[in-house]
Amino acid sequence: MSYAIEVENLHKVYKNKHAVQGVSFSVEKGEIFGIVGPNGAGKTTTIEILEGLRKKDNGKISILGLDPEKKPYELRQKIGIQFQSTSIQERMKVKEAIHLFSSFYEKKGDIPAILEKLGLDSFMDTQFTNLSGGWKQRLTLALAIIHDPEIIFLDEPSTGLDPGARRDMWSLIRNLQQEGKTIVVTTHYMEEAEQLCDRVAMFKEGQIVALDTPKHLVNQFLMANYLTFISDDADLELLRNITGANDVSHSNETIKIQTHNLQDTSLELFQLAKEKGWKIDNFRFEVGSLDDLFVQMAGKEQSP
Amino acid sequence: MNHILRLTFMESKLFFREKQAVFWTFLFPILLIWLFGAMFGDQKIGQMSYSNAYIPSWIAINMLTTALFTIGTVLTEYREQGILRRYQATPIRPGKVLTAHIIYGTLIFLLSALLIVLFGSLAYNLDFPKYLGSTLIAIALSIFAIFPFGIFATSLAKNSRTSAAISSVILNLMLFLSGATFPLEMMPEFLQGVAKILPLYYVVDLLRQTWNFAPITDQLTNVWILLGIGVVSTILATRFFNWGSRG
Repeated sequence: MSYAIEVENLHKVYKNKHAVQGVSFSVEKGEIFGIVGPNGAGKTTTIEILEGLRKKDNGKISILGLDPEKKPYELRQKIGIQFQSTSIQERMKVKEAIHLFSSFYEKKGDIPAILEKLGLDSFMDTQFTNLSGGWKQRLTLALAIIHDPEIIFLDEPSTGLDPGARRDMWSLIRNLQQEGKTIVVTTHYMEEAEQLCDRVAMFKEGQIVALDTPKHLVNQFLMANYLTFISDDADLELLRNITGANDVSHSNETIKIQTHNLQDTSLELFQLAKEKGWKIDNFRFEVGSLDDLFVQMAGKEQSP
Repeated sequence: MNHILRLTFMESKLFFREKQAVFWTFLFPILLIWLFGAMFGDQKIGQMSYSNAYIPSWIAINMLTTALFTIGTVLTEYREQGILRRYQATPIRPGKVLTAHIIYGTLIFLLSALLIVLFGSLAYNLDFPKYLGSTLIAIALSIFAIFPFGIFATSLAKNSRTSAAISSVILNLMLFLSGATFPLEMMPEFLQGVAKILPLYYVVDLLRQTWNFAPITDQLTNVWILLGIGVVSTILATRFFNWGSRG
């Protein structure tokens, strides 16, 4: 498998902060690679160095075989960037933006197809300022892929979008992957990382603390698995003594048992329920999500 | 070159979509010329007729407002909104974006100057410049001094509100103290000294001189000072300009 991005021992030091401390990773061609972590973890700095917008202090980077620091303009012909909070001129019309930006590139993508896919073709004469948040986001995505780039960098692509628009954005991004593009996404939303990414790197204090598929990450790092059910007559004290139960909590009518052994715990729960004549409804297993892992990793190291 | 032209064309188009900007740039000066004309219209100002003195003045003032607002403050807004950063993500060279803004500013300024001259000739019997070549060179030289000065002054601002405030202060200072509106002879000696540290003073003087009295070759002090302002501002503007990186 060939790599689109290779980063080796990357360092960046600001005046009073060692923002990136020896980060290494590779992104395969055609992969959706997620970068997650709390604010100030070094995500944005790392991405900006990859894009050639910031200088590194140490380390080796190769993007499509190019060094972003030495060949930033050559590189930008081949990559597309969508920033989190950039806009274009308020009074620029959609079609004007598309024409202007596509003129900057040597290579032209199939613009009518891109516009149709993003649904922008019916807004061609609308000024940027009159587009809603989701459509603005679509336009800036269009501008990032207008030259048929090999790698696309997306910074918080669904921030500020309503749930429907967010799902649309995800399926657009998956479509891009199917076209063979490599995609690097930074995000705060663990759900986004889980739904979208093939692999996820977790940043914390300038380092990668974990890097794997979302499923593996959760399995590997998140000991906490839950079972939940609804019962009016279950006795919480008795539940606490069940094998494997670490914690029993109760909110509204739902009872939640955290366990490191789902099988034994549930078996004993049902035996106990039969013995005592409790009624158990809505029983289910809940596997921890990346969200839980994020909170766990971002906060102080807590023992499971 | 193609990129610069496209950007210039785009910016000019966007300018005309902002009705307020169009009003302030093109009609406001004419209103003021008319207003001042009602006050001083039949007076002689240092051997010049009203229009021969004030039309060059307003050309100079419009050059300054173009530099501060049409170019400088707009660039600050673009920096604030991440528009410059959006360009940075493309292969376009930053210098081209700046060049496009300077060309577009020049076009807007020349158009407004033309309107001012037209109004002056129709309403106040403006004389044609005595040394046309000299006047044109003087205008070009003044643009070279004033545009980078405006870009530098506004690039010190963190956001567009500060930028507009800086621009207003500079504009008002120069409007009243550079001799562009109120004749310097009316002012105490101290303020006449202040006038000479304002760039617009030299622009006004050079334009009035070449328009009414003498070719640019007789105005070397003004020429050297404006060249100096141009060089220093260009260096400072390049040094302090940034593309607005966040986080």
